[in-house]
Amino acid sequence: MAEDLVLDTAIRDWVLIPLSVVMVLIGILRYFVSKLMRSSTQPDPKIIKEGQVIIRARNLRAGANYIPAKSFRARKVYYSNEENGLLHVPKGQAQNPQAQMFSDPNMAMDMMKKNLSMIIPQTLTFAWVNFFFSGFVAAKIPFPLTQRFRTMLQNGIDLSTVDVSYVSSRSWYFLNLFGLRGLFSLILGEENATDDTQRMMQMSGFGFDPSKSLGAEKDGLDIIQHDWALPKFEQRAEAVLRKLVK
Amino acid sequence: MSGHDNSNGSSEKSSSVMDDLPTFNAENMQNNMKVILYSRTFMAIIGGVIAGILGLTSLTGFIFYFLVMVITSVALTAKAKFSIHSYFDSWNRVMLDGFFGGLMSFVLFWTFAYDIVHIF
Repeated sequence: MAEDLVLDTAIRDWVLIPLSVVMVLIGILRYFVSKLMRSSTQPDPKIIKEGQVIIRARNLRAGANYIPAKSFRARKVYYSNEENGLLHVPKGQAQNPQAQMFSDPNMAMDMMKKNLSMIIPQTLTFAWVNFFFSGFVAAKIPFPLTQRFRTMLQNGIDLSTVDVSYVSSRSWYFLNLFGLRGLFSLILGEENATDDTQRMMQMSGFGFDPSKSLGAEKDGLDIIQHDWALPKFEQRAEAVLRKLVK
Repeated sequence: MSGHDNSNGSSEKSSSVMDDLPTFNAENMQNNMKVILYSRTFMAIIGGVIAGILGLTSLTGFIFYFLVMVITSVALTAKAKFSIHSYFDSWNRVMLDGFFGGLMSFVLFWTFAYDIVHIF
């Protein structure tokens, strides 16, 4: 193990700080570019309708205890009976999400745009870092790590004698890539570009296959235990009043 | 230590005396969770910078992170006027949410400040 290395201050001024600043700025730039490129698609009325039905059913489920048992049963039947309930999906009519995606070229286009706005800046920055800053130690993390982390932290340096806590510039780039997510969520608000992968997953689960979520909602409605809250509210009101009087 | 002053999400209207019946508005609850996440991230970043400038290393730094998170939890509890159950459904929300999410930001900013101040 080598003892403390002496690093040139020029590395700090010309590598460490610029690299971090560039990462932050590129993150912001990517956010605005993806915002610009987001096209407003004409939503399919059928999908919207199904989404609204799901929201209504969910509201019923959440507020089930605030209505009398009879009303709840009536609403439940309205949503989930086997003949013409809103949540009931006839067999065979469920659309294959894959086929639906192919039939709508806009959707694929949109996804590709999103992917591109994600991948292109990343490759470009990585190439930039590689080209200018490869092959030297740029930073030191303030805690010891085991040898296992060497490939992760000293990417681009092929020396086995350097202490593992020293970080090469290329790996500093990766650390930035992952660690700045929190900062972005602070400065860009919640819907920032780094969450794109998550959103994509959510979309493919929610919007593309409504019949499945309809079925799930129906099951949820079926198993709910109705327990009217009003009788209990008298006791509750009594407790509140007693507390006030005291 | 002012990351939690931006939490205006105390809009949960529920004067529940008896806790057996959940009377929560899901949207407000989500807003509260978001506020917690933001304040945690903010505190993690600020804490990381402070730890780096102080020159804490290895275990001391992680203990410092833990302390910062505890302070944040206490401050959030104080912000909720010590009645957690009228804003969140469980204590874990206030105590644990975003604990590990903030760690990455903490480590990054800790390293950054430490490198700039100490090793060159």
